[in-house]
Amino acid sequence: MAWVEVAVAATERQSACGDKAGAIIAAALALPGVLAHADSAPEHGEVAVKYLQYKDSQPGLDRIKVTAPSIYVLAPLSSQWAVEGSLVSDSVSGATPRYHTAISGATPRMTDERHAGDVRITRYEERSSYSVGISKSKEHDYDSSAVSVGASFSSDDNNRTWNIGLGFASDKIGSENDPTLAERKRTTELMFGVTQALTANDLIQLNVTYNRGRGFYSDPYKEPDIRPRQRDQSILLTRWNHHFSDLGATVRTSYRFYHDTFGINAHTLAAEWVQPLGAMFTVTPSLRLYSQSAAKFYFDPVYDPTVGAPYPPGYFTNPPEFISADQRLSAFGAVTVGLKFAVQFTPDWSSDLKMERYEQRSKWRVGGAGSPGLDPFSATFVQVGLNKRF
Amino acid sequence: MPTPARHLLAACALAAAAALSGCALAPPQPWERGNLAKPEMTMGGDALDQRFVQHIYGSKENASGGYGVGGGGCGCN
Amino acid sequence: MSSCGFRFQAMSSVCEVRLEGDDEGVLGEAASLAIDEVHRIELKYSRYRADSIVSLINAAAGSGESVAVDDETASLIDFAAQLHGLSDGLFDITSGVLRKAWDFRAGRTPTDAELQALLPLMGWSLVAWRDQRIALPRAGMELDFGGFGKEYAADRAMSVLAAQGQRHGFVNLGGDIRVLGPRADGGAWRFGIQHPRRADATIASVDMVDGALASSGDYERFFERDGRRYCHILDPRTGWPVSSWSSVSVTAPACVAAGALSTIAMLKGEQALEFLSTQRAAFLAVDTSLRTFHHEPADARRFVHGDIQ
Repeated sequence: MAWVEVAVAATERQSACGDKAGAIIAAALALPGVLAHADSAPEHGEVAVKYLQYKDSQPGLDRIKVTAPSIYVLAPLSSQWAVEGSLVSDSVSGATPRYHTAISGATPRMTDERHAGDVRITRYEERSSYSVGISKSKEHDYDSSAVSVGASFSSDDNNRTWNIGLGFASDKIGSENDPTLAERKRTTELMFGVTQALTANDLIQLNVTYNRGRGFYSDPYKEPDIRPRQRDQSILLTRWNHHFSDLGATVRTSYRFYHDTFGINAHTLAAEWVQPLGAMFTVTPSLRLYSQSAAKFYFDPVYDPTVGAPYPPGYFTNPPEFISADQRLSAFGAVTVGLKFAVQFTPDWSSDLKMERYEQRSKWRVGGAGSPGLDPFSATFVQVGLNKRF
Repeated sequence: MPTPARHLLAACALAAAAALSGCALAPPQPWERGNLAKPEMTMGGDALDQRFVQHIYGSKENASGGYGVGGGGCGCN
Repeated sequence: MSSCGFRFQAMSSVCEVRLEGDDEGVLGEAASLAIDEVHRIELKYSRYRADSIVSLINAAAGSGESVAVDDETASLIDFAAQLHGLSDGLFDITSGVLRKAWDFRAGRTPTDAELQALLPLMGWSLVAWRDQRIALPRAGMELDFGGFGKEYAADRAMSVLAAQGQRHGFVNLGGDIRVLGPRADGGAWRFGIQHPRRADATIASVDMVDGALASSGDYERFFERDGRRYCHILDPRTGWPVSSWSSVSVTAPACVAAGALSTIAMLKGEQALEFLSTQRAAFLAVDTSLRTFHHEPADARRFVHGDIQ
């Protein structure tokens, strides 16, 4: 008996919006209850442990070293409920970060521990999901508690998903230097997002976040440091993932624009290339570019000729309302290069190793001059992790 | 309205228009979604990796957030 | 890890729900709900039950009264209307009356007069369908959901299994198959395509981890007279059976789609291959000389030649 493969014209694959090809299939899928549950709880649970080692430095002096073990668990409770949570324990040791390179000062070596945990529970419906989560973080002089709720809604064809999130955080701030310090900070956060499948190989996301904070923002370990008692932030994030079918690789890109009422505008541009090597290995090089402007009340390292460092000119004769010398509020640019290796031993077990190098330079700021008089800042971080799926 | 906020608003509107144009390129049919389900195509990424890295950047740089709500604060910023 | 097959009778066919999982009790409960759903649809759209919505609609034919239908029935009628348009009028749910002229058991062909009497009672374009109310204008007109009822039941049964959290298995209603998900070890289910002329053999096989498979053939109900085969798939324009293909099998994301495509392909005769190609479905068509034609779009599973082992 003859077995003949039918050749089909190239026009079959045209993909203009609204073309008639596949009309019967499309009509069938529009029948309610014919497609399986789209949004359901993850099929597999997961336990992951990760260990981070972080070390930063400025020329001439090693600064902070952090080691942080952490654990993450994702447990589906049924086809419609899932719970996830994580715990991390940072051990911070080393000298406090410098403010203004010029001040060498005998900053004592400090150790600190931070413990943080979070739990989230999610309910999955056919085209939507709802979640609520809490997180807590504790250091010896800083406590933070936050609660958040979120919801997501998918279109019928599952190609578009809307996300909304609302969060409240309440922080308590103390100081080793000043035992009488007992300040608070309260933050409200609202996020809207949409994720769209553009093609079978492209996914894009747009998130807009508004954050309102009221309370204590100054750094109790720095002098002088007086920051406004409120800070509002606006953030726009766009992400695009593209899969190359022929290479089996995926490129993940993102751009984030940040603006806050301290006067800081920041841009973050990141990209990584996920390249599978054979069935078991994956290598992912990554690059991140960052640039920020200085806060309105940041002052350059030029000091009062009479009083001297750390006070800026005119500090006592004409006291400014807000002031800070924190290098983190200056204008600078930063580059991170990273490389990650992942191994999938069996369908259930995998492991990964990621190494990143971070360099921060005032002169790398984009769109303006960097803050003068500051030393470069570098950091290296390494993460090693193990995952089990169940 | 101050200039940066105006830029943000314009960027939002443009991006929203692009995302909502609906007819953009060729949204996949339900049976073509295989590649989109791959772990490397999801927006979230590795949960612990993200938590670590966003925490580090939040303590070394001023910008933070934008990826989701509910992270809570820390004494590093 | 157990692999359980739950057999039952429905819609005049041998049916099976197959599931794989750890807890046989849970599998049994899920299968039982899925089987209930199949029976629900069978009763709701049965011509043989006086209280079914189809019987109510048919009883009101020619009376001038329209019958209100619920959302599920409305969506199925809309689907049938779309199929009528997309098949150039060949798929017609009013064509069921033709069975009155054809007696497949006795093997009798109808007389011209018998067919002429029935032709005015057919034609979807005659039906008044608006605002979820339907009216058949002439007495004797009938709606028949047999053309996609079994396939719709397969899809709905699969949805019930998915809602129960099941992920590995399939629903097979007399050869109309909807796959829930791969086997528990991740492998595919292998289905054989019935050989149109040999009851004990298959002509091809296809491996599936999702989607649906449906076949139409001239071997299900037929008789042969004077060397000519008369099968139960009747062209509504003439009242006579089609004769170009002995079997057409289609895979598609949903069973209603696969079933509609295979039936319309049989009705289209020589234009079947062109029709199936424009619908972006994977198909296997066997003509009456047993020549086999197949095509699969890029991502679809391939039909594999030969008897399944």
